This record gives sequence, structure tokens and C-alpha cells, in this order.
Amino acid sequence: MLDGIVEQSVLARLIDRALRRGGEFADVFCERRNTQSFRLQDGRIHEATCGVTLGIGIRVIAGESAGYAYSDDLSLEALMQAADAAALIARGGASGNAGRIDLCLESVPSWYGGDRDGRSDSARYVTLLERADVAARAFDSRVVAVNAHLAEELQDVWIANSDGRFVHDRRPMITLGVQVVASDTKERGSGYAGDGGRTSIAYFDACSPESLASDAARIALVNVSAIPAPAGEMAMVVGAGGGGVLLHEAVGHGLESDFNRRGTSLYSGRVGERVASELVTIYDDGNLPEERGSLNVDDEGVTGQHKVLVENGVLHGYMQDLLNARLMGVRSTGSGRRQSFRFLPQPRMCNTYMPGGTSTVEEILTSTKRGIYAKSFAGGQVEISKGDFVFMVGEGYLIEDGKVTAPVKNATIVGNGPEAMTKVTAVGNDSRLARRHYTCGKGGQYVPVGVGMPTVKISSITVGGTHTERGPRD
Amino acid sequence: MARVTETQALEIADRAVVEATSSGADAAEATVSIAKRFHVEARETVVSKLEQSIAKSLHLRVFVDGRKASLTTSDLSPNGLRGAIERTIARAGHVASDALAGLPDEFATDVPTLELYDRHIESRGGDEKIEETLALERLIRGADARIVNSSGSHYADASSVTAIANSAGFAASYASTRASRSTGPVAVDGTVKRTAHYGTAARHFAELEGSAAVAQIAARRAVELFGAKKPATMRVPVIFERDVASSILDDLFAAISAANVATGNSWLIDRVGTRIGSGCVSVVDDGRLEGKLGSSPFDGEGVATRRTVVLEEGLLQTFLYDTYYARKLGAMSTGNSNGSGVGANNLYLEPGTASLEELIAATPRGILVLDTIGFATEHASGTYSRGARGFFIEGGELAYPIDEFTIAGAYVDMLAGIDAVASDLRFDGGVVSPSFRVAEMTISGN
Repeated sequence: MLDGIVEQSVLARLIDRALRRGGEFADVFCERRNTQSFRLQDGRIHEATCGVTLGIGIRVIAGESAGYAYSDDLSLEALMQAADAAALIARGGASGNAGRIDLCLESVPSWYGGDRDGRSDSARYVTLLERADVAARAFDSRVVAVNAHLAEELQDVWIANSDGRFVHDRRPMITLGVQVVASDTKERGSGYAGDGGRTSIAYFDACSPESLASDAARIALVNVSAIPAPAGEMAMVVGAGGGGVLLHEAVGHGLESDFNRRGTSLYSGRVGERVASELVTIYDDGNLPEERGSLNVDDEGVTGQHKVLVENGVLHGYMQDLLNARLMGVRSTGSGRRQSFRFLPQPRMCNTYMPGGTSTVEEILTSTKRGIYAKSFAGGQVEISKGDFVFMVGEGYLIEDGKVTAPVKNATIVGNGPEAMTKVTAVGNDSRLARRHYTCGKGGQYVPVGVGMPTVKISSITVGGTHTERGPRD
Repeated sequence: MARVTETQALEIADRAVVEATSSGADAAEATVSIAKRFHVEARETVVSKLEQSIAKSLHLRVFVDGRKASLTTSDLSPNGLRGAIERTIARAGHVASDALAGLPDEFATDVPTLELYDRHIESRGGDEKIEETLALERLIRGADARIVNSSGSHYADASSVTAIANSAGFAASYASTRASRSTGPVAVDGTVKRTAHYGTAARHFAELEGSAAVAQIAARRAVELFGAKKPATMRVPVIFERDVASSILDDLFAAISAANVATGNSWLIDRVGTRIGSGCVSVVDDGRLEGKLGSSPFDGEGVATRRTVVLEEGLLQTFLYDTYYARKLGAMSTGNSNGSGVGANNLYLEPGTASLEELIAATPRGILVLDTIGFATEHASGTYSRGARGFFIEGGELAYPIDEFTIAGAYVDMLAGIDAVASDLRFDGGVVSPSFRVAEMTISGN
């Protein structure tokens, strides 16, 4: 039995059954995820939640077609029906090529931290939230609301396929998020800070809830006193760490192999070409200790990898899942991910970051006459075909005559991926990964990711504020 | 695959409530949904994805001495459910006791069917759905020579039953269906590629927009912005086309949700009874519109859905409440619980009488926004800022396409600045709006 869920022999039977109408490949994704979370508002624990995700998904690949069915009913009859539904994609009627496969569990190295036995102590969680609340309120008298959230999950996946691969991965995840609203008599503003990763509650011994709370409160107060963001083209200095959202949106999504196999990405067919300033190198890595996007194996059972996406401005390769790699004649890069057993896998990012360059932060700032300093981003989005992206500045300031001056409110930055990447004119020596709280959405599926970045200067980009210097009508 | 029945869902909900109360909960409420889902994606001449499943899920809320905990699970096996309920009740022990937490005082007394279920959706064969989707793929490629690729055409449907039962003795259920078709043509002109998207969704198959219309609109969207220029930074009148307008209504929903108001995350705190919009802004939430996607006879905690006027000619009448936040803010539930917080039913801006074309013709100089990217991340201050594309309007006509600019302003100024609302409202989702014009906003480009 796989941890009391289903007999191991059932997985082999399902693969065999799924291939009986034909198809080159079948896999089975068995998942059990237990989650618990606590939410604090108004200075006290408002609510506890528990979650159980348990089910099996069965996929058949025939050419460029995928058939999929899942079942949360784990009776043999229901699972066989799901295998039959997945098999419908193969219409040739030829007999499957699987035969009887022998599944032998392979072991994989682990990148996760903390105590992995899954036991948790709810009282400790509650204490962390209460400490965050106290710290945020003590930060400044203008703090009017503190909302905090602590979530922990343990996801077990067993993945078996018709090539005989059979792996188990036990993935922990913990996240503490603090949201603070501050208000003076006129303006309101909010700030957020979150951290955690694929580790246990012990992480917050070093990363204190007080540090997250004061960061969130500080950003909320910055936003209260912020002036309207400028509008128009100017230089942008992107802050180290959280600035990595820029890479994720401006380049990362465009290098996912489904868009490239189908030719819908602007990076399609451009491996080996220059796509960015030679200062730009971008990695995606599934093997960083405890990071949110790290995976011992991806959701297709392929070992997580360090991938060079762009090196010195030249496009090296795409992030591949099994289906697209097979059709493009390459190997999977361990990038096949899914939200749960209810979804087909897609090629996705893990932890996307840029290694450090040679400039100091001071050099970068003092070389900027007029611009915006985007210390962190609250989110972003990209349109894959043309490469246009936006991101929302979480904490931003004006740069005037080489100095960081007034904070600016809720600016949106708009640009075009390759164009912005050719305008990277300085890369700082301070590369680091962002605090771990990012989640990426694609095709309705949400997965945890990591981002990282040194301080980077982009010589010109469009800042979308409301404050124009050229008068109201020009 | 087997049919799903309301009886099945009610039985599971009952079992969960009994299990919870016998494990120590003072009160419990269980919502069960069972859905049979179908999805096909076609690309070129190939069926690229075919997905069919039955999904069950249980959402349980328990109250122990004023302490609230909830469970969401797909493990409905007797042992699995019992263990999860015990863990949930144990977690409730760490929650602060809150006199306001608990089941509603009143439940729906009538459960109208509201025309939410279409037998035809379940009876249609898979081959028919697949064939239609392949045909949609042919239609977009035939629509314009520049459409040389696609990110796929889709048809999806679901047939669901939803049941609720609680320890106060309330139990009810309903059946519903949903179908959608959409397509994503990719057009190429020189070195520029553009993907567009258009889709339709409805409770009843017959109410879906036809494949030919969907293909035509998607194809037009894919090619109409070729040659777009980046506009200058300026202040101009802005017309938001209805799909973009609907996303602005989504942002408005966040501000009128009592859950956000109570946690400090709304720019509308303390504004009920005041004017926040122009005279053309009337916003209604109605959970009982027949056959609409946001309709249901009762909300996530069994309270009857209803029609609530949120804004009347610019005057903010009320927020939208579930039971807890109504008690907290001294109001009555408006039937807007989504089970774990506050949700919209059918939330819409009342349409005007002019067509979008007439709105454009009545705009001497301005822009038409057809698409935005980005999303609201901060509702406390109420600042709107998005990447956008669309057309520049000169002399009441679409002069040339524009893109790579942003549009920004404060929601409060946007609502006050709405000076015309079009008639083109469609209910293709729960939160919808017709096109409208804002008298002046800042766009940022060159």
C-alpha cells in the first residue's frame, strides 16, 4: 500500500488499462495533501482551516494529444473508469505498448528542510501570529489593521509511468504572511511581507515574525505618505531579491516549452540568438534548498534541475515537461508541474533568478538622473506572443539626481520583455533570492515559485502613474 | 460516467454534520458539491486535450464554543472524513472565542430552481463536442490570412449538484449546469505576433454565442491592433470595453465586500450613504436572476439570495455581507456568503441605452481600452493602474491602434467620472459590466 491510499500494484494496472486503446505513454499521479492554516485579525485568532486533497490522475499521451481523467474515489472500479476515460484520446484502437510494467520505487535526493514527519504543533503557530500582530501594532500608531496568516502543508505524491519510472516525493511547505493597513487622517495604505518555504515551523526561529511584521508596517506607512507615481518613460532601478518578478514575467513565461513548441511565444525558434543585453544571465533552478519552487522531482517524476535559460544575453533553452520535450526531441528539464491531481501538468518555472554582476548599488543609483526605484513588486503579468508585460510596484521611490527621494504610490510598470532586457545597463553585485511567498498562475493552475535578482538598472521603461510633468493636456 | 444526484450530495452533507456534532461541535454546516466535468482543447486538426472526471468536494464549518474552524476535503471515505473532522475540531481549540461566530439566524424558505440546469448539456455526446471544437479551430484560421496559429480552441461543460445541511436542521440542494466555448487565435504580421482570446459561457447550451460569432470576434481581436503605436502621456476620456469594464467591477466588488471593509482593506470604509459615483452608476447584486451564472437559490451558508442595490445613481447604499461580517458591522446578511467569506452573486452595472459604437461616436477625442494586463493588489487606498491596449479615438472614430501604455487613476475619481454607460451588458460570468466612459484619466506612454 502507498501509505494506506492504494495498493502499489494498482498503479501498474491503471497504466496498462490506460494504454489499451493505444498511445505512447501513460502516467499516474497519486496525491495526498494535508493543509492547515490559522488566520489572525482584530488581534486574535479568527479562524482555523484544514484541507485534504486526495486523488489520482491518469494521463495518456498519443502524439501531441493528452487524455486525462482523475478520481477522488479510490475504489478500483472508479479508478478503472478514469483510466478508460483517459484512454479515449487514443483513437487508433491499437493495443497498448506497455505490457505489464514492474514498478520499483526509486529514491531521489532531497532539497527540503526541517522536520519532515509531518507532525505539527498548532500552539506554536498561534504564538507566531500573535507575535506578528503585537510587533506590527507597536511599529507605529498609524497602524489600523493587522491581518496575518500561517499555512502549512505536506504534499505526498507518487508518480508512476509506462517507462517504468516510479517515485515518491514528500513536499513540506510553510508560509507566514503579514498584511498591515496604516492610515493617517487623509490617506490609507497597506503593506505585505511573507516568508517560509519548503521547510518546517523551525524556519521562523531565524526569520522572526517581528521582522515580517515591521517590514509590512513600514511598507504600509511608506504607502500612506507616498505621492502619486509619475507617468511616462524614465529609467528604472529594480531592487535586489523581490525584483526577480521582472525576470519571471519579462522572460520566464516566454521560455516555457508549450508556448515554444506551439510557436505562440515570441522566443519560439530563437535558441542561440541574442535576446537580452550581454549583462543578462537567467537561471531557473529546482534544486535550491528550501525554496518555494524547489522540487526533488517534478509532477511527472523527473528530477529537479538547474537550467541556464539565458547566458550573457544569449537564449540557451526552454523549460520542458515530458510531452513538449518528447515532441521537440529533447529531454524534460524537470519543469512539469501541476496544481493538484485534478490538472494536467504544464511546463512551469521553479526558482528563477539572475546571478550577480559587478556594479555596486551606489554606482547604479548615482548614475540615474531621473527614474523610479522599484524595491519590490506586488505582482505581474505577461502576454506571451508579443512579450508585453506589466508589474505592480509594491514599494517604490523616485530617483532624482542619483538619490532615492519620495515614495510613490501603486505604480504599474509596462514594457516589452526583449526590449526591456536589451536596456539592462547595469547589474549589481548583490544578487539574492526574494522572501519566499510568490505563487504563479498559468492556465488556471497555481504553483509556488521563487524569484531572485541583484539590483539592476533598465535605462528606459514606461511608468504608469497619474502625475505628468507636461501639464494636463499636451 | 455515472449521473450525479442531489440525494447523493445531501447524504454526504448530512453524514458530515452528524459526524461533526458527535465529535464535539456545537454547530456544524456542510456543503457538498459533486461535478461531472468535460473539457476538450483542439489545435489545428488535432484534439490536443480531452479531460473527463467526476469531482466531489466537501466544505465543512464547525463551531465549538464560538470558535470557528473549517475543512475542505476530497476524501469522503468514512475513516478519512472522520479523521479530518476530528483534526478540524482540535484546531478550533486554538481559535479565539467570538460571540458573533455561528450559523445564520434565518435560512432560505424557498428554493426556486432558477433555470440553472440544462438537461441538454449532460445528454450531448462527447464526439459532438469534439467536432464543434475542431470546427471552431477551422473557423478562426479561415477568418483572416494573418491567423496562422492558435493557442487552442476549447469547449468545457460541467453538470453539478450542490447540497447544504446544517445542525440547525436546514437542508437544501440544487442542480446546475455550465458550458463554455472559447478560442485563442494567434496572428502574425511581419515579426509581430499577437494572441487574442474570446469566449462565451452560460448555464444553458442554447445561450452560448455560436461558434461562428466567437471565431469572428476572436479573429478581429487578434488582427485589429497590428501597427499599434505607443501613445503620448496625457489626460483623455477613456472608454472601457465591456470585458475590461467587468474587471473594474471586480475591483469594485473587493471594495464593497464586508470582509474587506472589516479588515481595513477597502477604500469605501465609512462611505455608505455617501455619493461615490456619478448619476449613471447604479450597481446591483442579484442572486436570483433566472439562468444566470452567478445565480443560486441560497448562498454558501443557506441564506436566501436576493436582489441588493449596492449603488443607486452614484449613492452607496450598502456593502455585501455574509452572516459573520453583517453581525460584525451591524447589518443583515445580503445572501453573499461564498462558504468561507463574502462572494458576489450576479453583480452588474445597470446598462444604459446607447451602443458602444454610439459611445465612440460621441467621443471627439479619447481612447477605447480593449484589453488590460495587471491586477489590483491593494484595495486599501483604491488606486487603479494597468497596462492597456486599444484604439485612439479622433472625431468620434477609431483613428489608430495603441498599445504599451498604462492607464491610472483613483477608483473614487473613476466612478465619479463615469459620464456614459453603454447597453452591451452580457452575463457571461458572475461579475459583469457594460462598456462605459470615464470623462478623464491619465494614460502614460511616450
